[in-house]
Amino acid sequence: MTLRRTGRAALAALALAAGPAPAAEPAPLAVQLSSRGGRLTATVDLATAFPPSLEHEVANGLTNYVAVYVAVLPIRGGRPALLYGRVVEILYDVWEENYAVTVKDPHVPQGVRLVLPDFAALRRFLSEERDLDLGPVALLPAGGFVVEARVEVNPLSSEQLQRTREFIANPSGGARGTGGSRSVLGAMASFLLREPDPGSDVVLLRSRLLGPGEVAAR
Amino acid sequence: MSGGAGPAADRLRRAGAFLRLSRFELKIAAALVLAATLPLAGALVLAGRVAEENLSLGLDPRVVDRLAAVPGLYGDLFQARKQLYAEQARAIARALPADRTRGGRALAAAIGRTPRLRRATWIGADGVTIAEGENPAPSPEGEWRAAPARVALPDGGRLECLFEIEARFFAELDEARELGELVQGVDALRAEIRRSYVRAFGALLVAMALAAATIGIFLARRTTRRVSDLVHAVKRLAGGDLAVQVDPGRASDEVAGLARAFNAMVREVRESRDRIVYLEKISGWQEVARRLAHEIKNPLTPMKLAFQQLDARWRKSGARDADPAFGRILAEAGEIVDDEIGTLQRLVDEFSSFAKLPEVRPEPADLGEFVDDFLRTSPDVAAAADVEVVKASPDTPVALDRALMRRVLANLCANAVEATRPGRARICLGVARTRDRAVLTVADEGPGIERAARERIFDPYYTTKKTGTGLGLAIVKKIVLQHGGEIQVGDRPGGGASFSLVLPLRVDG
Repeated sequence: MTLRRTGRAALAALALAAGPAPAAEPAPLAVQLSSRGGRLTATVDLATAFPPSLEHEVANGLTNYVAVYVAVLPIRGGRPALLYGRVVEILYDVWEENYAVTVKDPHVPQGVRLVLPDFAALRRFLSEERDLDLGPVALLPAGGFVVEARVEVNPLSSEQLQRTREFIANPSGGARGTGGSRSVLGAMASFLLREPDPGSDVVLLRSRLLGPGEVAAR
Repeated sequence: MSGGAGPAADRLRRAGAFLRLSRFELKIAAALVLAATLPLAGALVLAGRVAEENLSLGLDPRVVDRLAAVPGLYGDLFQARKQLYAEQARAIARALPADRTRGGRALAAAIGRTPRLRRATWIGADGVTIAEGENPAPSPEGEWRAAPARVALPDGGRLECLFEIEARFFAELDEARELGELVQGVDALRAEIRRSYVRAFGALLVAMALAAATIGIFLARRTTRRVSDLVHAVKRLAGGDLAVQVDPGRASDEVAGLARAFNAMVREVRESRDRIVYLEKISGWQEVARRLAHEIKNPLTPMKLAFQQLDARWRKSGARDADPAFGRILAEAGEIVDDEIGTLQRLVDEFSSFAKLPEVRPEPADLGEFVDDFLRTSPDVAAAADVEVVKASPDTPVALDRALMRRVLANLCANAVEATRPGRARICLGVARTRDRAVLTVADEGPGIERAARERIFDPYYTTKKTGTGLGLAIVKKIVLQHGGEIQVGDRPGGGASFSLVLPLRVDG
């Protein structure tokens, strides 16, 4: 998944605030806020979003995606005051028997690649989101606020959407890229294909009520 | 208003008029759109079902699951290979000789008997290589990737083996993963794909409806504009404009037929009206001629008798010899009075003849034969002119009053003779027929008739001759009109005048 612009993360964060909320009550979120050089950073524990049973899903040899959005929401409601989003691509290498992970966020849209030896390491990596750059600390709401994290496992990626569009437009050659005839109906259907609503694999976590005084200075 | 606004406003008006649709056009276009899109609207519902069923067929959960499980199967394959290679490496390690100098031969033998073993290296506890062997031959499996297997030896050394694994497995794995991800994506988007197909079909439906509407309007306009022209022409006709005609175009459809019928009808109405008007006018002039003849004729005889008495008295008078000059004057006056009374008498005769034109009593005849009869029984015409008869049709059945039509032909021939004087006249009598008319043409080689005079030439008392009464052509036209025909004057090709008498063909039965 490619995050080319900061705006995409902003949109995703907006979706966090306005999108369909999971049916269950948000799980508690442990968060540590600190400011460094005028920027607000957050370290959150997302372990509840990544249970050990997730191994079966992410170790299937297909590319899996995990999207994490963290936002600071004023207690009085409204749009997020600060936000951050990242997408983690996870591919279990069935030969090497390790996890190839690529992390993309607005600061590094091309992504940072790393290899994790096993699921335990992967789970630790996903759960402990350290020093996430939420934005200028000056934008922190003066009153109380909460930090919300939204974790989506295998949301439909833009690459998947694009591949599906190509497949619809050119079903005979789309999978192998061998060309083939493109039907008018297929081309139009591909053009009109929209991104679906997020599925049920969305976990929402919310911190307790926080105040500006709880931001540690570094 | 500025100078440039006029043409722009005109263009705008023209464009507006072009784009404005009549109700007739709208109805035709709507009918075409309805006819084109109604079945497709039903197909729209069907398209949703077909898309859903196709997706269900292609995205059977078992297929999706199996495809998604393929990379895992390759993982199992790799696992099995790794275990196999580890076991084979252990077997080679167990078979290593105690005598290190024979290590090379032992490794070579192991490479020879162990499938896919490319290289084996025996390393001592001190890290120094004791022996090694390698299979230099290319793999029968083609491209391969290295699969290492390491075995720790009891003496602290180790055996490092390098096995090969087929590279195609990795290519197949990549492809299977790509396909699995695609199918998973399509499966996740199944509902949205179905909706997008319906939307695409709907968009195509709208495009088709627009195309049908455009074509419908274009086709409708070709017909409705002609119908509109007809409606406009009918309104003008109702307003009294008998000169109105519509362009039937080059088509041969019902609308073109209607336009042609309308033109024919207007033409006939116009001719009937002209005929009625002319006949009414002639009737009026006939009444005038009758009264004039009566008023002029009555005093002529007393005048003539009075002068004859005067002359007789003079001849018997004794003063005749005493005044011979007066006698000469009286004689000259008598001649003048005789001449003028003669002229007046002829005028009265002409007027009487014009006023007492008999009713036409048509009888079946052939126009060609009639012309032949006329020439045979009119020696004066043959004497005064060279007459040529041209018959373009073998038979031209008409209904005519022979006596009156003879008068017509005689009058026209006399005019031709007179127009050619002092030369000898050459007259061409042509007989032809059209689909429903017979045409008799009388053409001469005289000076012709000026275009300005042609409109009045059939009016009573209009003449270009010094001695004419101006009644001859009026009588001619009246007779022709009473035959249900018409007369036209024009130029003869090559010079001269040409009169065309058009009579309706006789329909027997």
